[in-house]
Amino acid sequence: MRDFDRAIGRLLIALTYVGTALLVVGVLLMVANGIPPSSGGPSLDLASIPGDLVALRPAGFLWLGLLAVLATPIARVIAAGVGFALAGDRQMVVVALATLVVIGVAIGSAVAFG
Amino acid sequence: MAEILLMIVGGAFAGAFGSLLGLGGGILIVPLLTLGFGLDLREAVGVSLVSVIMTSSVSAGVYLQRHLADLRLGMRLELFTAIGALVGGTIAFLIDERWLSVLFAALLGYVAVSMLRADVSSDDEPGAGRPAYQVRNLRIGAVGSTGAGVASALLGVGGGIIKVPLMHLAMGIPLRVATATSNLMVGITAAASAVIYLIHGEIDPYVAGPIGIGVFLGASLGSRVAHRIDLRILRLLFVVVLLYTAVQMLLRAAS
Repeated sequence: MRDFDRAIGRLLIALTYVGTALLVVGVLLMVANGIPPSSGGPSLDLASIPGDLVALRPAGFLWLGLLAVLATPIARVIAAGVGFALAGDRQMVVVALATLVVIGVAIGSAVAFG
Repeated sequence: MAEILLMIVGGAFAGAFGSLLGLGGGILIVPLLTLGFGLDLREAVGVSLVSVIMTSSVSAGVYLQRHLADLRLGMRLELFTAIGALVGGTIAFLIDERWLSVLFAALLGYVAVSMLRADVSSDDEPGAGRPAYQVRNLRIGAVGSTGAGVASALLGVGGGIIKVPLMHLAMGIPLRVATATSNLMVGITAAASAVIYLIHGEIDPYVAGPIGIGVFLGASLGSRVAHRIDLRILRLLFVVVLLYTAVQMLLRAAS
């Protein structure tokens, strides 16, 4: 169990490092292009991210980094659920699945009902 | 450039504070962005949610590697918090927010006094690993975590401010383990809320970027020095935050 905790901890840190590295590149590009934070950044447009990355526009790196940060806790629940399944701990697998379902319902209902 | 540096420093302070107390740090980010940088409240809350996730992930990563956070307990309780948040969001229009704020302020005041009076001798001493303890009153923990989720959805307070004292006072979890486990839990509910803010275009990447970098630095430092900080200081800091939040709730009810 201690190795399992450590593996989940490593996953959390690795994903956060990836997200932060992308944010650092984005902020450096903001500085290089003289963009102040108060200028108001563009909304998320998934389709424009690849183009922004290729053109070295800060928004692409910042959005990709923020998406990595947002996905980290959800990835942690999924990874823990898989780990518990491999260890044969059904109760914790149910807990992980139920958490994902409740989070999904919360997001879905918020989107559906504004 | 100066604005970016100030955001990184502010984020670092909030990240360190949040990782030490298991609160995520949103309690500092929102006033920093609204009062310090003139953001409107919705945008500030959106960026604050990203910061809470960052604090949670960095701190929980370190605490899990050091075996200070309790993964199984955290995952059980976070399920009830998520259910509570869902229920809270559904019944929000049925409840008078002012009375709820007063009741919540009274609860926080009671919890603050209880934390000050709690027996420190049975608690853990500074060290790198998880102290020995027995989880008790899991049912009370489940009910309390559901309540934390409801309060979080109705009043916009982070669940950690309820769950840390709940684990510590009612479930027999040492304060250091309670704050570490709370850090693990706050990320998932913040992620759900952050996705909603993202869909509604309320997260500004030009603000979230510098703040996120600062929070990462602060939370990395905070979680690595947490075991060296005297428990009495940690406890006192938490009580101050509880009382501050109670006053904010009373002011909200009065307005």
